[in-house]
Amino acid sequence: MSKDPNSEIPKCKQDFPIEQKEATHVSRREFAKFLTLLSGALAVGNTAIVVKSLAFPEKPLEGEHAICMESEVGDGDSFMFEIEGSKTIPYLLINLGNGEWRAFEQKCTHLSCAVKYRHDLGQIECPCHKGYFNPRTGDVIQGPPPRPLPQLEVVIREGQVFVKAQQT
Amino acid sequence: MSDFRQSQNEAHPNKTNTLMTGIIFLLILFVTIQIWFLFGALNNALQENLNFAITTALGSLVFAFASFWLLKYLPEPIKRKMKK
Repeated sequence: MSKDPNSEIPKCKQDFPIEQKEATHVSRREFAKFLTLLSGALAVGNTAIVVKSLAFPEKPLEGEHAICMESEVGDGDSFMFEIEGSKTIPYLLINLGNGEWRAFEQKCTHLSCAVKYRHDLGQIECPCHKGYFNPRTGDVIQGPPPRPLPQLEVVIREGQVFVKAQQT
Repeated sequence: MSDFRQSQNEAHPNKTNTLMTGIIFLLILFVTIQIWFLFGALNNALQENLNFAITTALGSLVFAFASFWLLKYLPEPIKRKMKK
């Protein structure tokens, strides 16, 4: 049997049918094709992560940065500062007392909320989802954060506080 | 006169349905695993764990190719079959 060419609706019209019911109908074939397209997009996204981290690796902090005077931050107090680099990162300088100083990235490793130092608890707290970090090591004590807070090394010289990348 | 394909289809009328369901289930499984990979890779990329990112990217690409390969087995639309 030969096909009647007039009986077939042209593809351009198939995509824009007159009936709304036909326009909103998604066949199983179309759904399967959509899933395949989604699968391709996810693979591209996953590959993009690798390409980005290979092509644009994050530069470690270079040199020492002067933050403030030692006298400006009392025992149990904290001081917020930012360091300009390839991107501006907020940090938290903490004076634990007895000459112990720490500097951590202020972004919580869970969902990037700003963390704060609670001297009454002796812990760094993320107020969003009650994540707690050790103020000496940055390790997670409790809550949803998956990783410790990135830490900087603090150097006190002539009454001034400097930070630099931690030696590993 | 009926050919082999037509007689097969008549003997097993549910075949198209089963194939379609199987393919869609497999595709959903692939996409779910890929979302899991992507989530893991994003989390690990933040920690500069490149090996994990590379492994998941390769796995994701394999699943994407498998998804495209599965399309080969999509049954013909029933309407077109009826016209023949």
